[in-house]
Amino acid sequence: MNWRIRLTWWDKLLLAIMAAAAVVAFVRFATGIGTIANINNAYPWGWWVGYGIMTMIAIGAVGFTMTALVEILGVHRYHSFLRPAVLMGLLCYASAITMLMVELGRPWKVWMVLVSWAPTSALYEVGWCAFLYLTVLALEFSLVPLEQAGWGRALRIVRLIYIPIMLLGVTLSHLHQSSLGTLMALIPHKINALWWSDNLPLLYLFSAMMAGPAMAILEHLAAARWLGFAPRMDLLAGLARIEAWLVGLFLGFQMGDLFYRGATDVMLSPSWFAVSFWVEIGLGLVLPLVLLLMPEVRESRRGLATACSLVIAGVLLHRLNVAVIGLRVRHWETYVPSLGEVAITLGITAAAIFAFGWLARILPIHEELPAPETRSLPAARAAGTWHGAEGVS
Amino acid sequence: MSTPTVKPKAMIQDNTRCIGCRACMVACKSWNDLPEDKTDFFAGEGYQNPRDLDANNYNLITFNEIVTGAQPDWVFGRQLCMHCEQPACASACPTTAMFKTDLGPVVFDESRCIGCRACMQACPFIIPKYDYDSFAPKIHKCTFCADRLEVGMDPACATVCPTGAITFGDRDDMVVEAKRRIAAAPGKYIPEIYGLEEVGGTSVLHLSSVPFEQIGYITGLPKTPMPDLTHRWLRVTAPVFAVLYAVFGALNWIVRRRMRRQGHEGEHT
Repeated sequence: MNWRIRLTWWDKLLLAIMAAAAVVAFVRFATGIGTIANINNAYPWGWWVGYGIMTMIAIGAVGFTMTALVEILGVHRYHSFLRPAVLMGLLCYASAITMLMVELGRPWKVWMVLVSWAPTSALYEVGWCAFLYLTVLALEFSLVPLEQAGWGRALRIVRLIYIPIMLLGVTLSHLHQSSLGTLMALIPHKINALWWSDNLPLLYLFSAMMAGPAMAILEHLAAARWLGFAPRMDLLAGLARIEAWLVGLFLGFQMGDLFYRGATDVMLSPSWFAVSFWVEIGLGLVLPLVLLLMPEVRESRRGLATACSLVIAGVLLHRLNVAVIGLRVRHWETYVPSLGEVAITLGITAAAIFAFGWLARILPIHEELPAPETRSLPAARAAGTWHGAEGVS
Repeated sequence: MSTPTVKPKAMIQDNTRCIGCRACMVACKSWNDLPEDKTDFFAGEGYQNPRDLDANNYNLITFNEIVTGAQPDWVFGRQLCMHCEQPACASACPTTAMFKTDLGPVVFDESRCIGCRACMQACPFIIPKYDYDSFAPKIHKCTFCADRLEVGMDPACATVCPTGAITFGDRDDMVVEAKRRIAAAPGKYIPEIYGLEEVGGTSVLHLSSVPFEQIGYITGLPKTPMPDLTHRWLRVTAPVFAVLYAVFGALNWIVRRRMRRQGHEGEHT
């Protein structure tokens, strides 16, 4: 198998961002978090947790939502979305764990979570689930390189355990996606009434599910463009219809929860909280829902890209609103992310995108589409290790 | 583990007796071996210094200018770890690095800490602080002088107060004493013990002559323990896992059976 690709201008840009972030990360590990970050005693979690961990895990839900759609609900026409979805999930979780290693004060102690018994801690559950799910994603995805490399025995073993671990992955995802909300349910006194709810676990779960098909659609459009194949617009239109349902479900649940809690007066109060709330609802939920309900949008690349990008931005803003923006501690305390904090998250995101682009060029990720052109293919075919593009269950 | 005869301890912070001498702050720094700070006055709150608790200050007397009667007067308050009966910080900790001992103190075990700062985020009183500039940061907060309690001594702050504003003893006795003081001098105290019921009860009981929100205390906290908020979700983790796994497994089995049948039919036609 040939691991090498010809670097494009985009690849080099991503590598440059990663290099810059690596310098910032070096300073952080050499001197401490305080040198480069603005997180403080009042806001112990900032952009790193709001974006780097909570949003990354939420958009990583693409792995389990698409798996559930195809393998559990049995909608097999979306099977070709499965490999990209699992790879995106894997890279998102890997990104979140990388972020955690930068964000933790004592990252060399992180294994303590795995040797502790702390069932009262939502973070304990998230830690265990995310660790196990990352393993599941790695195993699920390993089918592709194992098949490519022609490692028959390992491939047979992974195929044998595929069903139980796939089910485990979907189950674990439901647990820890909601537990991230449970984490924030502990602090009603700090989070603005617009976002704190007894139902935060369900709000987190539903919004993560909503991010899934949106990520799958965006990936397909991007891959079609950069790898040069014709997008399956028929399938995308179907996914967009599912996405509309999920956005509608989340919007309905969130608004219903707000009315049920009687927090409607806060919505209409003149404050930056209310502004952030209406941006989240308007641009992140209502506008994409309206767009996705229009057939001409569902059938247009640009329309789908716009609507799904808005959904993802809405999920990001929801996580930031709950974990950072909506937090009020003491009146004189403020938090705005530093350049260093942003640089590190950009670096991790660039690394994930680079890894995806690289793997998409050396492995048949878009399996039911024409195999991507790589220099390895003729050699592999000649050597008899190339099993074609339709090898995996 | 200690014997069941151990009685949990508590402290009364009687703000009406406090004269703002800050001997307790000095004793706290001294016993905990905390470095001095270079401080400066900040706008607004008079002689209080520093403004807030931090990694070098576990105990703080707050200076509040309150108009009582004809002219403004100093009314003192105090910030320190409340040592909750059911601490949110300990419930949030994924490694049990933060935990409550039988004697009452909520303490921090550095060797277990991963530095996630969930305890800081969880605390309803905004007490735990962090030394972000350290290479190996720690959580910093009042320990209730757990090391002194273990050998039968009182917390350092309680031993130095010259006016008896800090009283230390068994929690049951302290609750009785706090109620007695309010009943004996109803004009002197507001009829409220801060910490008696807040978040399910704490090991520090504050008394005051003015409403607590006027002297910077966080009020409006629930009377139920904070961990209840997450417990109602987390306690169902195992059953939810089992049910979801079974349901997903059943659905997947149906899907695969349907596909096999379709596959066979396909072969025959």
